[in-house]
Amino acid sequence: MEVLFTSTANFHHLLGNLVKKNLLYAPRKKGDFLFYERIETASPKDLILHTNRPVQPLKSFFFPPYQKVGQYFESASPEDTETPKRVILGVKSCDLESLKTLDSVYAGTQFSSSPDPQYTRARDSSLLISSDCLEPDEYCFCTLLGSNPHPEEGFDLNLSPVDGGFVIEVGSEKGKTIVSQDQNLFISADENVLAQREKTRADSLAKVKELNQEVEVKSPYRDMIRETYASAVWKDHSENCVDCGGCNETCPTCRCFLLQDGREKERFERIRLWDACLLTGFARVAGGANPRPKLSDRFSNRLFCKFYFFPENVNLDACTGCGRCISVCIGKIDMRKVFKDLEKERSKGPAEKIK
Amino acid sequence: MTEYDPVKTNVSEVITETSNIKTFVLRPERPLDFEAGQFIQLTVPGVGEGPFTPSSSPYEKEKLEVTIMEVGRVTSALHNLKQGSMVGLRGPFGKEYPLDRFRGREILIVGGGVGMAPLRSLFLSLAHTIEDYKKLVFCCGSRTPKDIVYKDAVLDKWQTQFKDKVSFRITVDEGDGTWKGQVGLVTTTLDNLDKEISNFKESIAVVCGPPIMMKFTTLKLLDIGYGHQNIYLSMEKNMSCGLGRCGHCQMGKYLVCRDGPVFTYEEVKNIPNMWD
Repeated sequence: MEVLFTSTANFHHLLGNLVKKNLLYAPRKKGDFLFYERIETASPKDLILHTNRPVQPLKSFFFPPYQKVGQYFESASPEDTETPKRVILGVKSCDLESLKTLDSVYAGTQFSSSPDPQYTRARDSSLLISSDCLEPDEYCFCTLLGSNPHPEEGFDLNLSPVDGGFVIEVGSEKGKTIVSQDQNLFISADENVLAQREKTRADSLAKVKELNQEVEVKSPYRDMIRETYASAVWKDHSENCVDCGGCNETCPTCRCFLLQDGREKERFERIRLWDACLLTGFARVAGGANPRPKLSDRFSNRLFCKFYFFPENVNLDACTGCGRCISVCIGKIDMRKVFKDLEKERSKGPAEKIK
Repeated sequence: MTEYDPVKTNVSEVITETSNIKTFVLRPERPLDFEAGQFIQLTVPGVGEGPFTPSSSPYEKEKLEVTIMEVGRVTSALHNLKQGSMVGLRGPFGKEYPLDRFRGREILIVGGGVGMAPLRSLFLSLAHTIEDYKKLVFCCGSRTPKDIVYKDAVLDKWQTQFKDKVSFRITVDEGDGTWKGQVGLVTTTLDNLDKEISNFKESIAVVCGPPIMMKFTTLKLLDIGYGHQNIYLSMEKNMSCGLGRCGHCQMGKYLVCRDGPVFTYEEVKNIPNMWD
């Protein structure tokens, strides 16, 4: 699709136009952390566009932590809540990648016979303006999953900083419409700015690779994880796990939920809440039987879901290398090191049995 | 109405089967067409829902029966329901028993305890066109004579009605003063099975019961020559949304709500902890 240039002033003009008709969200600093926050006016100093991803996973916008999904036994039809139109600015490549997994569950038909209406409405009414990640930190490992710190697909518009403004890449029909509505704000990108973009991107890519030199493994995770179920590595690494489910909650591809029923006056309602497979009761059935009573089983199950269940079902790794699970972990568990140890173990010979 | 909202359903009768098992006769406002082996989600309003497999015949369209053991929060609330109570139903979900594969063959059904519920539905389905099947053997194991579910049917009514085509092997783990039948674990009903079934390799076995019962029954069936792809097992997992989304019933590469709850042994034999 089209690759354009827009000056900083023109870009802010564009945001000014967008904020009139949409709720604008962008990464903002709160203490030491970045969060997606609602931005009322798009003033230049507020924007943090080219660091790595914010703390919240992008899924929060489309699959919120707490959402009413039904109300039953009521003759009146439920109030029609309009889905707000949103512009989400500063989305990073790792989070765009995560939408492939979420879409497969909530908007596709491989798992469910029909798409989830609330999710698809929220997706449809959002415009994603992503931006190149130029400040990867020690938790980032998108390159180990075969992607890059700069977005390649899944965005409506993408921003790359260059002298005097941005290279802006159009990634969808939605993005094309936005650009065509304010045509005077853009010119085509010349060789000069494109070369600059490539240079900046290459530098960032090199940074991520360097950060991961010691944990890099030779085979893709999805190939490595097969036949490792009985490996002692799972037990070793889960020893520091405190069963908090933080990795699940912050993971942009963890998509599991719990249904909870409640009563509000005369009507009954059903709420969908984020759930975490690391928690003891996740797979427990009535009567108490539990297929994964041991923490090490739940710990390995999470990564088997990402690198076995999803690849088998939709040919996707349900991990984007965003590193949130590593940065959030109280026990300092690092999945990259799990795979590094699985590789070491494999080179030594057959897996040691846990039991 | 969303896909998470249940259909309003009247409890038209509550039948006490054993000290902790009841059968509920349900009449939903809109009929739910199911096939034997599929499951439904049953809601106690404001309390929550749980997955159950109907135990009635799929040919009965206006009502549906579920047989439920009291084991937890939702099932306790269900056991407190009376005739006339209002509940909710969603579904049906999952895959049914593939009766096309069963036709023309000798069918062995092995049930333990409340695991008899989907098997009753299956049996009534098979019985509806009994001429399609070569032979049926129905084995049923219960803890004590008091714990036999569908007692009148398995000990009397079905035995008389289908005596030409179906043989019944009923056992209890522990007898009492009145019990004249076989005593022993359900696996003992598989002894001398060659008296009833002529070709184990081609025969279909359908097993449902507590995990430990399914495990030992399967091991014995493999031992006597049943094919891995001919043993059908019911996987009891924590199915919640029923829509393939919530992730609770993931098992290996499967989602039980989408790919099950009925699986062949062949499909699940390599899944770690599959019997837990």
